[in-house]
Amino acid sequence: MQRSIRARLASCIAVASMFSIGLSGCTGSGGGGGPASGNVIKIGSDLPVSGADASDGIPTQNGVQLAVKVANEQHMIPGFTIQADSLDDAVNGVHNPPQGQKNVQALASDPAVLGIVGPFNSNVAQAEIPTSNALGIALVAPSTTNPTLTKGPEALELRRSNPNEITFFRVCATDDVQGPVGADYAAKMLHLKRAYVVDDNETYGKGIADQWAARFIADGGTVVAHQHLTPGQTDFHALLTDAGAANPDVVFYGGTSATGGDQLRKQMAGSPLASVTMFGGDGIRNDEFLKIAGSMANQVYATVASVNAAKLPAAQAFLKEYQDTYHVPVGSYSAAGYVAAMVIIKAAGEAVKANGGKMPSRADVLDQIRKAPKFDTIIGSFSFDASGDPTSKIISIYEAKSDVWDFLTQVKFGT
Amino acid sequence: MFDFHTLAQQLINGVATGGMYALIALGYTMVYGIIELINFAHGDVYTLGSFFSLTILALLPIAGVTSGPLLVLIAIAVIILAALLCGITGVLIERLAYRRLRNAPRLAPLITAIGVSLILENIMQLWKGTSPVPFPQFLPNTEHSIGGVIFNDNEVLVVTVSVACMLLLNYFVYRTKLGKAMRATAQDRDAAQLMGININSTIAWTFFIGSALAGVAGFISGIYYGTTFFLNGYQAGLKAFTAAVLGGIGNITGAMLGGFVIGIVEALTAQFLGNQWTEVVVFSILILILVFRPSGLLGQHLAEKV
Amino acid sequence: MKAALARRFPGLPLGLGRYRLDQIIVGAVVGIVLLLLPVIDQNSSHISAFADAGYVLLLAFGLNIVVGYTGLLVLGYAAFFAIGAYTYAMLASPQFNLHYNFWIMLIVSALVAAAFGVILGAPTLRLRGDYLAIVTLGFGEIVPQLLRNLDKYTNGPNGIVAIDQPSIGSYQFGFNPTPYYYLYFVVIVICLILLNNLRHSRLGRAWMAIREDELAAEHMGINTTAVKLLAFSIGSAFAGIAGVIYASKVTTISPDDFQFQVSVMILLAIVLGGIGNLVGVLVGGAIIALLNFLVLPQASNWAHALGYKFGIVSLQNVDLTNYHFMLFGFILVLVMLFRPEGLVPSATVRAELHAEQEASS
Repeated sequence: MQRSIRARLASCIAVASMFSIGLSGCTGSGGGGGPASGNVIKIGSDLPVSGADASDGIPTQNGVQLAVKVANEQHMIPGFTIQADSLDDAVNGVHNPPQGQKNVQALASDPAVLGIVGPFNSNVAQAEIPTSNALGIALVAPSTTNPTLTKGPEALELRRSNPNEITFFRVCATDDVQGPVGADYAAKMLHLKRAYVVDDNETYGKGIADQWAARFIADGGTVVAHQHLTPGQTDFHALLTDAGAANPDVVFYGGTSATGGDQLRKQMAGSPLASVTMFGGDGIRNDEFLKIAGSMANQVYATVASVNAAKLPAAQAFLKEYQDTYHVPVGSYSAAGYVAAMVIIKAAGEAVKANGGKMPSRADVLDQIRKAPKFDTIIGSFSFDASGDPTSKIISIYEAKSDVWDFLTQVKFGT
Repeated sequence: MFDFHTLAQQLINGVATGGMYALIALGYTMVYGIIELINFAHGDVYTLGSFFSLTILALLPIAGVTSGPLLVLIAIAVIILAALLCGITGVLIERLAYRRLRNAPRLAPLITAIGVSLILENIMQLWKGTSPVPFPQFLPNTEHSIGGVIFNDNEVLVVTVSVACMLLLNYFVYRTKLGKAMRATAQDRDAAQLMGININSTIAWTFFIGSALAGVAGFISGIYYGTTFFLNGYQAGLKAFTAAVLGGIGNITGAMLGGFVIGIVEALTAQFLGNQWTEVVVFSILILILVFRPSGLLGQHLAEKV
Repeated sequence: MKAALARRFPGLPLGLGRYRLDQIIVGAVVGIVLLLLPVIDQNSSHISAFADAGYVLLLAFGLNIVVGYTGLLVLGYAAFFAIGAYTYAMLASPQFNLHYNFWIMLIVSALVAAAFGVILGAPTLRLRGDYLAIVTLGFGEIVPQLLRNLDKYTNGPNGIVAIDQPSIGSYQFGFNPTPYYYLYFVVIVICLILLNNLRHSRLGRAWMAIREDELAAEHMGINTTAVKLLAFSIGSAFAGIAGVIYASKVTTISPDDFQFQVSVMILLAIVLGGIGNLVGVLVGGAIIALLNFLVLPQASNWAHALGYKFGIVSLQNVDLTNYHFMLFGFILVLVMLFRPEGLVPSATVRAELHAEQEASS
């Protein structure tokens, strides 16, 4: 009997100490490190930076933190120091919507946070947009391309707390623009006629595959089949045999390298599809694809929902500084993370000015983001339309040439 | 889209994947047969096999080698080394995590096995990162054609190695003293001990051989797919366990048969039902087999009650 | 003071008489602290994490009935969580434009999940332990995959969005985590009382008899099939309830939320806390939930803060996020090796587990 009381007390103490660590440690913790002092503006970020998703989240987070560093060096908001407060929305290695929701609430409870960069994944955005809308804090996403987040009846539901207030913005174009551009290029420039469409059965992959396929058909092509992968699939031989029998001249892959696009391409070698073109979206346009696909990294085309940063002089400085700071080349969404953070920083700067040099409110910052005529960024100039999407939608098209993605052309919508 | 060529092609695909499942299933079935433990970590030992192979290959100077026989020699050396390392890993896991729980209720070692699996996956994640890793495909991979049906050297390799391993294992279990000790321990542990068999060492050898086979499967999968990934083991392990159960747990030929059947079922499902249903079909087979014929295709009916 | 209260105050309601005075006092103190928690710590993200611990605890209760009381190994428990959540989501969101009442759906989802528990359990409960574990694991893999593939009904990988939130009269829960915290609190207290009484009822004793020796239990006249099915369905019902409240709080669900990692997390919670013991399950669930939602996401930041405070450079840049799985794995292995009865053991379970170990050496 004595033992169980002791044991119970012990566990109570354990739980209590866990609580107190949690409570004390959570205040003022920041990804940028160092204690906070007066006149601090914080840029929050919520990205998946642990587990399998870390390969997406960490390069983006680096972009955010680099933006904060540059903004401080250039004194972009006079009278204020800028800090990054970076949180992780992955639980057990997978991006987790309730965790994202909690992170937005955590950041919003810190009055110094004026805006949040993130999230990376569309399903996390679905959980975060209502919270950011209810709390009135800006949420600027670097990479979520699913159109239903800002357009259509679903988007209206997501902001039902304040339906007329847009708090969610993104700096990348949406898949209902990206998919059709790719399909047009495939049908009209590459003269491809029979497509075998594969997607990874995830929000992004299925979305862009559906968009591409619909436009391909409208352009006069045929979609001979539309298959979905199982999660974690690594063996594509059976799928490719089925595709071979259908005799396509292009295989479209909707999804990312992480969900199998690169291995799919690699396993096309030695199958009847060895000389068939592959087409994809920004999910495969990265170095990982080139590395894994190896010798098959040719005759592969991909669209990206942003401008070709390498061609912009403003971007050169960014690329070099990123390499110098982190000692690795940029990731696919590092520039997007940088730009998203810069949007908030610039809007905050304007809000400070309009407020006579004093700390602005989140509503001020939101206002500035919405009505800014133009943001000049390393990926070009744009502003946000009434739905929170960028006005300048540029889709770039690349071709894989063994160990590099060759920029082919770009298609521009809007201003 | 149905024609003989496609069907034959899918059968070849199925047999190739099935060969790998079979190799992994052998390890599951041996361990379960002897200590009635579902070694959850076995799938991760399979992935470790490909990781070890990667490291060994990086140390060997294979870049400029083009002579066929020499490459085959290198492949054999790598297989043996990877198998050895995996076998040792298996023995270590048994010694550290499972031995204490040999007489505990079933829940305990099962949970421990899950824990070991998580640890191994994390180690591999730290070792080679969270993205797939390219595997050098240094063996010649020419295509051959019989009657219009195409297959290549890699597929031949997978099937040959798995069948060879099964034959070796069969010989070992039925013709050697250690094999006899294993069979005796599986049948009745206490009686075997009374007959003078060293239980601890027999069980350790079982784990060694089972894990070594998984290591071989790891090397082969690296060659066949050209990549490896730290989470491969989870999926492959589940399907291989389905194969072991399908064939009759504890039965070596059954594990082989089950492996090939599961591989072929997967390929045919992808062809006729759609790729997205392969998992549902395979796991439904698992459930159905366990409900209607738990002894599997080749297993004896195991009496449960006294 | 060592005697149960029933000796001095017979007829105490709610089964309180079973406990001693000091146990009641500890329980009451903890209860009051938890009741006032949102007032003590007003940080809404913390309250949200405490509220989310609620669904972990409910799931742990349910799994404890199946694994802890009855000794049935279940590895795919997240499937029932998914069934509960999706049942509510499909009937209370723009998906089919149905908006059934939250409180009614709590019961409906519990019943639906229980029904699936019966459907899965009926043909499989006679299997021996490990086989049952694998069957449930297979079920746990099939259900999310089905949810992903049947996109006409479930909206596939995009999941269901804008799920209705509960309301009491004219008070809307909204996006404030505090009402959810109290909802979980009330539901958990009710479940605790129910489970406690169940544990000490004939059904509960039948469950534990089956866990210790099923053959003997059957020969003592217990209808093992019916009793096991009851355990399965009641356990699933708990998951169903957890699913409804979870879906209404996060307002968007997708198949990704219900993968094997969730089942492992719940298993870890009851193993760590103490299989078969309600207090143990509470403690284990709380520890795992707080680890997952509060501690681990911040672990790297704290290490950095520690590094800056004490000037330890290696801590300032460490990234602990890559060690989460290893931590869980080690907890599982070490607990099973050295203290399989958990932190707060149930005396009977400890006796069972250590008797086996002593017998073997």
